[in-house]
Amino acid sequence: MSSREALAELLWAEKYRPRTLDEMVDQKEVVERLKRFVKEKNMPHLLFAGPPGTGKTTAAHCLAHDLFGENYRQYMLELNASDERGIDVIRSKVKEFARTRVAANIPFKIVLLDEADNMTADAQQALRRLMEMYTATTRFILIANYPSKIIEPIQSRCAVFRFTPLPKDDLIGRLKWICEREKVEFDEDALEAIYEIAEGDMRRAINILQAAAALGRVTVESVYKVVGLAHPREIRQMIQLALAGNFNDARGKLRELMINYGLSGLDVIKQIHREVFSQEIKIPDEYKLIIADLAGEIQFRLVEGADDEIQLNAFLARLAYIGRKLRG
Amino acid sequence: MPRKIPWIIKYRPRRIGDVVNQDNAKKQFIQWLESWLKGKPIKKAALLYGPAGCGKTSLVEAAAHEYGLELVEMNASDFRRRQDIKRIAETAAKMKSLFARGKIILLDEVDGISGTADRGAIDAILELIRTTRYPIAMTANNPWDQKLRPLREASLMIAFKRLTERHVVTVLKRICEYEKLECEDKALYEIAKRSEGDLRSAINDLQAIAEGYGRVTYSLVRALSSYRNREYSPFEALQKMFNAKYIFQAKMAISQANIDYDTMMIWINEHIPTYYEDPEEIARAFDALSRADVYMGRIRRTGAWDLLSYVFDMMGPGVAFARRVYRYRWKAFRSPQRLQLLAQTKRSREVREGIARALAPRLATSRSTVKSEVIPYLKIIFMNNPKYAARIALGYNLTDEMVKWLAGHKAREVLMYMEKLSRKH
Repeated sequence: MSSREALAELLWAEKYRPRTLDEMVDQKEVVERLKRFVKEKNMPHLLFAGPPGTGKTTAAHCLAHDLFGENYRQYMLELNASDERGIDVIRSKVKEFARTRVAANIPFKIVLLDEADNMTADAQQALRRLMEMYTATTRFILIANYPSKIIEPIQSRCAVFRFTPLPKDDLIGRLKWICEREKVEFDEDALEAIYEIAEGDMRRAINILQAAAALGRVTVESVYKVVGLAHPREIRQMIQLALAGNFNDARGKLRELMINYGLSGLDVIKQIHREVFSQEIKIPDEYKLIIADLAGEIQFRLVEGADDEIQLNAFLARLAYIGRKLRG
Repeated sequence: MPRKIPWIIKYRPRRIGDVVNQDNAKKQFIQWLESWLKGKPIKKAALLYGPAGCGKTSLVEAAAHEYGLELVEMNASDFRRRQDIKRIAETAAKMKSLFARGKIILLDEVDGISGTADRGAIDAILELIRTTRYPIAMTANNPWDQKLRPLREASLMIAFKRLTERHVVTVLKRICEYEKLECEDKALYEIAKRSEGDLRSAINDLQAIAEGYGRVTYSLVRALSSYRNREYSPFEALQKMFNAKYIFQAKMAISQANIDYDTMMIWINEHIPTYYEDPEEIARAFDALSRADVYMGRIRRTGAWDLLSYVFDMMGPGVAFARRVYRYRWKAFRSPQRLQLLAQTKRSREVREGIARALAPRLATSRSTVKSEVIPYLKIIFMNNPKYAARIALGYNLTDEMVKWLAGHKAREVLMYMEKLSRKH
């Protein structure tokens, strides 16, 4: 290891990610069943389902590692349904990947498809055909937050594994373990606060811990400071400016957000949608629904390829008009 | 702040003598009008025709003023509404009472009536001419269209000439003196030349430059105005579009702008709140523009270019007719900030995407998760602990640009530590 690498630091979410099934301390039942596949050197198609940050992707990597060894990644095609542009791209990548020959001691290759529940029903049908077509040489591991959004024919072709949110003691225990290794000073109740905020999402918990540690001793205050900084208030301020009838200032805020945070129009409209229902936005409920409906329309237009700023300006202008009507 | 009056209104002719040039037209028009006042009209209607901005409407207005007549004005978009035509027809048919002022009826830009769709409109006007008790003046740029033939036959045709550069310059000079404006002669000649005899557009140009820059120089004119009849500079196009009285004018303003329609959309996006102040008007205008943008997106995706006319419909007339009441409003339209902002936001987004691309495989997650779940915390580290951030930057081989994006005002410190750490190597 060169000194440069020794000085370099990693995100703890990578640094402390389990590499093998043995290193996985949570999801015990799931891990036991997966270990059996390693022993048999065979497995069906798999569907990993559960909330974010519960170890689904990590488990898939550990499984592949244990099956294929250190260089497992060359036998695994990693795809992300929300990053790829449609089923055609996925199809051609799978086709290409399945065609390459494998070493004699490798029983099959793995296609890992993350966020599969983001695919439309039609795309999933096409995926099902792909799974059948290459089943002799390839196994699919599908990952989803919501298994109910995976079509029936795919579910029936997969062994389904349910991942559950990490229990409090396990999550806090893991954070403590990291703190010891990193020589981070912390208050007990700060770790409790992280647990409360992360809601069993390990990745988020570790990210919050690392950011708080970067500020100094991890305290309840520093944890809340980090969470506040991570979710900027500008979106809320923008909505409030618009509702106060101040279209021009709201538009200025929007531009600032897009430049400073590199947010796309879709990022902004999705965050707006979350904010509208918060307690801080003080307008009657029926207007919140009107605004939510409008946000949905704008989001759809953006997905269809409309211009970020024009559409969001139209949204803000409407908000300013609604705000004026509300104030009479 | 006093409301700015458009100079084309502020300096419009009050008397027939103020209408420059056009001696023949003036003589014919006065003869016709006086024949009406004597009760023996030569023809019941007059059709004043000639190029844009040569004084047709101005002459009618000045004459009404000078002869003390009430001007009843009606525009092309009203012609197709039956009840409006009837209302005018009733006014026109009414006997003049002894003490009431006389009237003159002006139907402006009758060539804006579209052919087959408005068949009824021509008939309604002919009916109006048949029954009227007051003089009817009509204006048109091009009276020779087939559909206008019945109107030509029913009217006295009065031709207006294109104004010469010298006449345009004379008027511009007079305005400059009134406004105490510093103007180069060469600049005024350039404006006149480019106006191609259209005095109205020349005055608009003069005002646009004077109010934007406080003086009128040859180089400003060259940079900012364009030749007429071919294309409009963006600010002229906006002025015409927003202030269009009729749909066809708003459409024409858009289609004759000397920038492409994508850029035109950005100009409109910038200036809807410049032109409108009322929240309802702003909302309605943006609604129309956003519809144009939706059509534009569909064209890009599907290649269905025949949708383009809908884009024009919504971005021009759609935005212009968001107003609740029509009022000519003069506004200074500047070059949009967005053009620079666009480059900045695009770059910012690319950098963010680059970071997501670098981190996603290492963290075994999607780029979208990195963007929403990891980058916000990374930013906190970079903006608060430069030394630690420098080590993470090395761990992921982040570029200087990525470091700058993440660290904001702390960027220099982070880069400095990175430099130091690398040297120890």
